[in-house]
Amino acid sequence: MPDTSMPPAVAPPVLEIRGLTKSFGTNIVLDGVSMQVGKGQTVCLLGPSGSGKSTLLRCVNWLEPPDQGRILLSGKLMGFRDGGVVPMNGMELARARSRIGMVFQHFNLWPHLTVLQNLIEAPIHVQGRQRDEVIGEAEVLLDRVGLADKKNAFPAHLSGGQKQRVGIARALAMRPELLLFDEPTSALDPELVGEVVAVMKILAEEGSTMLVVTHEMGFAREAADEVVLLDLGRVVEIARPTEFFTKPKTERARQFLQRYVHA
Amino acid sequence: MIREFAIVWANSGQLLNGLLNTAGLAVLGMILSVLLGSLLAVLLMARSRPVSLSAQAFVDLFRCVPFLLLAYLVYFGLPSLGLNFDNWTSGLVAIVFYNTAYMAEILRGVWRGLPRDGIEAATAFGFQGWRLFLRIILPQVFLIAAPMMGNQMIQIIKDTAFLSIIAVPELTHVASGIQSQYYVPFAAFLAAVLLYWMICSLVEAGVFAVERLARERR
Amino acid sequence: MTAAAFMTLLQGAGVTLAVSFAGILLGVPIGLGIALVRWGEVPVLRRVAAVYVSLIRSTPLVTLCLLIFFASPSIGIDIGPVSAAVLAMTLNTSAFNSEVWRGGLVSFPKDQLEAARSFGMRPSGAFRRIVFPQLWRSALPGLVNEMTLLIKGSPAIAVVGIVEVTRAAVRIGATTYEPLPPFLVATVLYIALVFGFVCLQRVSERTYGRAGASA
Repeated sequence: MPDTSMPPAVAPPVLEIRGLTKSFGTNIVLDGVSMQVGKGQTVCLLGPSGSGKSTLLRCVNWLEPPDQGRILLSGKLMGFRDGGVVPMNGMELARARSRIGMVFQHFNLWPHLTVLQNLIEAPIHVQGRQRDEVIGEAEVLLDRVGLADKKNAFPAHLSGGQKQRVGIARALAMRPELLLFDEPTSALDPELVGEVVAVMKILAEEGSTMLVVTHEMGFAREAADEVVLLDLGRVVEIARPTEFFTKPKTERARQFLQRYVHA
Repeated sequence: MIREFAIVWANSGQLLNGLLNTAGLAVLGMILSVLLGSLLAVLLMARSRPVSLSAQAFVDLFRCVPFLLLAYLVYFGLPSLGLNFDNWTSGLVAIVFYNTAYMAEILRGVWRGLPRDGIEAATAFGFQGWRLFLRIILPQVFLIAAPMMGNQMIQIIKDTAFLSIIAVPELTHVASGIQSQYYVPFAAFLAAVLLYWMICSLVEAGVFAVERLARERR
Repeated sequence: MTAAAFMTLLQGAGVTLAVSFAGILLGVPIGLGIALVRWGEVPVLRRVAAVYVSLIRSTPLVTLCLLIFFASPSIGIDIGPVSAAVLAMTLNTSAFNSEVWRGGLVSFPKDQLEAARSFGMRPSGAFRRIVFPQLWRSALPGLVNEMTLLIKGSPAIAVVGIVEVTRAAVRIGATTYEPLPPFLVATVLYIALVFGFVCLQRVSERTYGRAGASA
């Protein structure tokens, strides 16, 4: 495990999680998780279902406020005002959230807006950016995910893979410091997974900072800078993918790989 | 019989005036009760129990009272509060009170059934409070609620006929006047019925168009 | 308000209930008949039924009452205010009821009908034995809802001179020059009446609504 007590040498990591704890009722979902994502890094969160991966992601942008622990975004505390005692109010939380882009398992597009409107909605109305500038950027993004011709379509008319590519473009339109992916391919038909993974790989290569919860081992192996294995709410192993997939350090990781990769 | 219809035709200007009053009351009443109903729906959905319960009591009360009785209560009750409106305005106030309750109930029902995931995405993207309500929740609610709101609009149009009893010069009141002046009951009231049919069919056509719009945005 | 005034209001409530019930008793079966004509695609009649429903549904009850009461002598029938009121209520509610019945019929599973026919049942027998026992259960909540709406529309019959609750309240207010107390008592009476129906509707939804929907 990296030593989180060390002061950051140069710039702080984009995301730093320290001792994160979260339980629902008596069920402890996250039990003292610490990890970080450096600038330009792609980190994959792996683990069996129920290991707390999605909850961890949702704690990062405070969709689920954690019980204990700290989340730092480029060194700035999430969920609390400076000083770390007073919780943020709704406005402050919203402003902090708008620095993070999120891609959802079920796309969660806004059905009443066209593809282009989905992209520009939050940049204009949350970030208060210039409409023309945002539209220009959104069109470039749609082109990059291969959906320039769909900009005036409504989400209901798109395939799952297309919806998720819109979801990714929508997150990018926020110019986020950090991108969160919550099982972005789990709700897709198998033949549509490829097109979404391809877009994610390009983002990783171009140096986006990404935290990805996924079951796509191929993506983790090829695109991740680091892999974090979570089990029962605890970090089991943090390693480079080449090491993780060939010679895992822990017995738990070996079992996991046996079931999910070699099966 | 032909003579009867000729008399009504000769008074078609009056009927048109009545029709315009009916349509004006219904459209204004609709706009105001949708606006106030949206606010009341927010109160119905409020997390605070006292707020949501008192909003619910308001809605339930108005859903139990016949429209004419409410119109009377407004017509006779407002002056005792020191508010003196003419009959037309009293009628409008009654329409708005009554339908605000119905609109709120319709909007709340749709809001509750709205898929959570779009709202969650909006929260993650930094929407909150009124901006979340106005830009993400309300447009979706309106699209889904449009058919029900259209039916309510038809109900409003028909309820305006009650206002003839407090002498608001709407369509039925005008028809009643023509019939008592010339004694042409069949032609006068049938003309009114056909005019109601016409505007209600127009509203229905509008609802149909909005429904088509809504279907591709779902 | 005096005790006599209160009795007048109660009598008015009795009239409201009586006329409404008459309308319901006549309107529910007529509504079923209209729905069957449209569902069974009876030639010509189905078009007449469709126009009837559309026309009546967009006609205010007040206007319908006035039309029937004042126009009936001109076609040679002189009906009294009570008959005019009951007729108007019946026409009105039958159109709405037919839509409720029709909704139930349209969503009735076709395979059951085919099964009945393959067992040699005639259409009338199949309707009586197979369709209706399930249909009325699924239609009941909607029908009770229409009954509530009819009661709320019933003050319309005052325009032909019938003294029901609302009209009774107006009269009392006109003699005492204090219109608000009788209106408030009338409000309470309506709430009691409508609330009774709302309870009935909740019970029927709980008992039959789901069973009907899944049948």
